[in-house]
Amino acid sequence: MDYAVKVNNLVKVYDGKVRALDGVDLTVEAGESFALLGPNGAGKTTLMRILTTQLRPTSGEAYVFGYNVVRDEGKVRRLISYVPQEISVWTDISGYENLLIYAKIFGIPRNQREKIIDEALENMGLSDVKKELVRTYSGGMIRRLEIACAVLIKPKVMFLDEPTIGLDPAARKTVWERLKVFKEEYGVTIFFNTHYMDEADMYADKIAIINQGKIVTRGTSRELKQSLGGDVITFILKDGANNSGKLQEIKKLEFVKNLFVYGSSLSIVVENAEIALPSLLNTLRDIGASIEKISIAKPTLDDVFLKYAGTRLEDKRRLSEVTRVREMIRRG
Amino acid sequence: MRIMNALKNILVMMELELRRLRHDRTEIYFRAIQPVLWIAIYGPVMSSVRAIPTGGVPYTDFITPGVMIQTTTFVSIFYGLMMVWERDSGILKKLLVTPASRYSMVIGRSMSSGVRAVFQALIILPIALVIGVKFIPSPTYFILAFTIIFFASGGFAAISILVASFMKTRERFMGIGQAIIMPLFFASNALYPIQLMPPILRELSTFNPLSYVVDAVRGLLITGDLSNLLLDIIAIMIFDIVMFILASMSLRKIIE
Repeated sequence: MDYAVKVNNLVKVYDGKVRALDGVDLTVEAGESFALLGPNGAGKTTLMRILTTQLRPTSGEAYVFGYNVVRDEGKVRRLISYVPQEISVWTDISGYENLLIYAKIFGIPRNQREKIIDEALENMGLSDVKKELVRTYSGGMIRRLEIACAVLIKPKVMFLDEPTIGLDPAARKTVWERLKVFKEEYGVTIFFNTHYMDEADMYADKIAIINQGKIVTRGTSRELKQSLGGDVITFILKDGANNSGKLQEIKKLEFVKNLFVYGSSLSIVVENAEIALPSLLNTLRDIGASIEKISIAKPTLDDVFLKYAGTRLEDKRRLSEVTRVREMIRRG
Repeated sequence: MRIMNALKNILVMMELELRRLRHDRTEIYFRAIQPVLWIAIYGPVMSSVRAIPTGGVPYTDFITPGVMIQTTTFVSIFYGLMMVWERDSGILKKLLVTPASRYSMVIGRSMSSGVRAVFQALIILPIALVIGVKFIPSPTYFILAFTIIFFASGGFAAISILVASFMKTRERFMGIGQAIIMPLFFASNALYPIQLMPPILRELSTFNPLSYVVDAVRGLLITGDLSNLLLDIIAIMIFDIVMFILASMSLRKIIE
């Protein structure tokens, strides 16, 4: 079966100097929710714009459901929909009118139009405000309207560039809840760019981390975190941890990957802390250890990012810039 | 099938413009101020000087079509500014990812500026009537004149899309916009007959699309002299087609 997205050694050089993509290889399976995670300037948007037939790659190939994004661009455009990072609806007409214009551009037959538009508005929770000018919408509502535009044609792949940038946590959550429902209902593949780790963590089946135009690692969120070694459970023991003979019992447990003793603290590396903790507690009780405090450290995608890309992900300054521009455009 | 789809997209773009106008017409009212000044003040003053031969038509009547078309050209040329804005926002990117062809997008956007231009010209009419401009009372001529304004504005809007694909900031675009319109206006027959111009300008005005538009509309609305009408229409058609092709070729540049 064809992959929803397949990218082979893709390179994009701007103006002969800036190497935005430096040999990207990727596959995304159909029906998957796929996150491309990386800091600003990593090449996420460039890759998405090549996949959505807006830009031509300098070299390498990219396919959407087996269609080449350069040679068969017309066919690719019939399968995909795209929500750019910037605001992409007309603010001087109503939400309903925006969808009506797009429904017509996509050639949705007249007799189905009304039903499909109302369904999309309903899905995105915008039915109540459909007659209002988009200018009066909140940032989260505009984003949902943009996604409503993208779901009109029931695409096979949806490309979302930073779908929740500049939204407050509650609005972000609503956007994703709506997207999840839509994905489950229609089996659409979602390809999204983000620099929010929690977003990739919570809503992506697979994640690829991109940095300086290269995919540095990929896998499920769990796989990526486990590649760091696993969760660390630290016990502070009342009677000290230097009763090492007994502690060797713990090392025999099959799920324990590693064990460190330091003063009164005992650190145990396991694959999954939640599952390991009950039996660890039992074992500790059996050997007569008395526990004063337990803490669990789970690796985050930021740790993953740090390991593979060598830097941290956060950059607050640019984020506020985008928020500001979106706000400016909305107000007209 | 392809052509039908393209035609449909062009109509959808025009529908979008109508919907916008329905929600907000402030811009049209404000843009009407300048042409009204031309025909209410400049026209009567110049006509008292009697320096310009107008072929027996009152001077204010003579310049009314020219002033109307100057205004609609302004509307069209600055339509490109909207394209720059839509590029800054994601609208253009999203439109270019739809199955609609680039040609239908460019022609559709251009012709929606034609829609706006027709309304802009219409709003000047009652004011001109009040001032005392005498129009030829023929609905056929009237409709033909506005059809010409509609298509010509499409061509000028295509120029602006072409310019917008090179000028990527609004400030630059504003400057270039002015630099295009004023020479077009003064090197045309909008305010005085071409025969009054120095020979070099007269030659240049052969290539000025504005002159053909003004000539056709003046003939249809004011003088009734339609001797050049066919030539005018052919010139405008060629202008439109060339501009549509050039603008479509450059459209991809806008988003890169």
